[in-house]
Amino acid sequence: MPEVAGWKLPPELRARQPPEQRGVRRDHVRLMVINRAGGSIGHTRFDRIGDFLEVGDLLVLNSSRTLPAALPARRQDGSPIQLRPSVRRGPQWDALAVQPIPPHANVPLAAGERLAVAGTQATVEGRRPDIPLLWRIRLDEDGLDRLLAAGEPIRYSYVPGPIPLEYYQTVYATHPGSAEAPSAGLAFSWELLLRLQARGVGIADIVLHTGLSSFQDDAFDAEHHMYEEWFEVSTQAAAAVARAQRVIAVGTTGVRALETAADRHGHVRALRGWTDLKVSPARRPRVVDALLTGFHEPQASHFELLEAFVDRDLLRRAYAEAIDRRYLWHEFGDMTLIV
Amino acid sequence: MSALRGRVALVTGASRGLGRAVALAFAREGAQLTICARGAAELEAVAAQVRAAGAAVLAIQADVRNPRDIERVVALTLERFERIDILVNNASELGPIPLPYLVDYPPDAFTDVLQVNVVAPFRLAQAVIRSMLTRRDGVVINVSSDAAVTGYPGWGAYSVSKAALDGLTRTWAAELEGTGVRIHAVDPGDMDTAMHRAADPDADPSDLARPDDVAEAFVRLASEPCPATRLEARSLLEVRSHA
Repeated sequence: MPEVAGWKLPPELRARQPPEQRGVRRDHVRLMVINRAGGSIGHTRFDRIGDFLEVGDLLVLNSSRTLPAALPARRQDGSPIQLRPSVRRGPQWDALAVQPIPPHANVPLAAGERLAVAGTQATVEGRRPDIPLLWRIRLDEDGLDRLLAAGEPIRYSYVPGPIPLEYYQTVYATHPGSAEAPSAGLAFSWELLLRLQARGVGIADIVLHTGLSSFQDDAFDAEHHMYEEWFEVSTQAAAAVARAQRVIAVGTTGVRALETAADRHGHVRALRGWTDLKVSPARRPRVVDALLTGFHEPQASHFELLEAFVDRDLLRRAYAEAIDRRYLWHEFGDMTLIV
Repeated sequence: MSALRGRVALVTGASRGLGRAVALAFAREGAQLTICARGAAELEAVAAQVRAAGAAVLAIQADVRNPRDIERVVALTLERFERIDILVNNASELGPIPLPYLVDYPPDAFTDVLQVNVVAPFRLAQAVIRSMLTRRDGVVINVSSDAAVTGYPGWGAYSVSKAALDGLTRTWAAELEGTGVRIHAVDPGDMDTAMHRAADPDADPSDLARPDDVAEAFVRLASEPCPATRLEARSLLEVRSHA
């Protein structure tokens, strides 16, 4: 949201557990529809999203698979910490080091120190210069296997108990690599996706491995530091985008991937690499026509991206209505479609 | 010998018996493979044979009882090979040896058999089919048994689990209709394997099929469309020999 002073999310609107654990099918969460052309705001259930899609529309899904990215580790003095790798390049990680228990405050490490990490060892090489809360850590062996063997999903304070990893996966999750769930897609079931396909809505997938949404430091988080995330737009995805009537990104990750792969005329080509692109009112989308996203708190950099799609007043009205109508926030909450 | 050229297959319980034979047959046909089993040493021996056949292989020690191991196997396979075209749910638990009557069966052992033979194949198939549906291509083969349809004394939990696996396959096949993703249950028949010797120590090995021969049916099912959801391996091999 534009100006955040005084904006408060009522705590009870933070989704504490996945819909299925609340007795709601994943595709039966609520859906708020913001129609930019008419300036109108509508309310429906997620599985009726097809009412707002047309033949020839393309849903672009992020097929990144969520990792159990909170990994227990131990310092040489025996004290336990938790590593949260945000950027992984094989055994070379840029990771947050936090206390293993809430509130997971940052733990200052020392350059050169050795860590015991889930059956292997790692060396702390030092702080990352541009984001000093991230530590450059080199593992002695492939870190992905260690994460999968010993990590837990990263969980924030509004989720009171452990949630199995499968609840953090979209039903089309494929390529492992996200530190946190690409949560805008969590509401899709395959039953719904197959029904939409049968009605002429296209599906393409891109990959964008999400980094951390919080550095466990309110002041630092408020500064909205951007850093690189790995993405991949395949030849097939680029071709599907070129054919589409309307391109609907499922999640802001889809926006980042497609907009990074777009040239200045809005033509998407196959591309893979690291992106730190910030889509905002100053860099408006060239390819993406509509966006499906979850509800996140206004300090999230998320809102700058939303403002690239929706003008401030309409966005403010929509979020006020969402709070009035008791929509649920965060990764296990309800959804918004911006058309 | 290239019916599976470029395909990526995941075979569970691949350290011995039918799983080993299927892995080696797939490798000879050009597939890239992930194999998993509980026993690291036996698994590594099979991995070496797969490599010798010229195939890329990822060998992962894993227990399919453990959901974390299932996620690890699937995620590491997708990281290495980027997709999974074929899943063979072969890992299977017979139960306590010698096989007790149901009336005498330890309930924990009953639960364990269902865990390995039904819940694990469900979890694996779900994880794999999810990514297959995006590409609208793929095949899952569940290893069933004659015991799924006939009640033999002593085969209680195993029988129940294989009947459930057949049911899982049937419903799933109906849900996948028209998606390009196939799922089958295959009864391999009586084979000369360690599992069969444990279940039926008095059987004459000369009456039993060789796993290597039965594995050819899996190659065929993995590489060619087949209208039947449940089938006997023998029927596929007969079709081939008449062709």
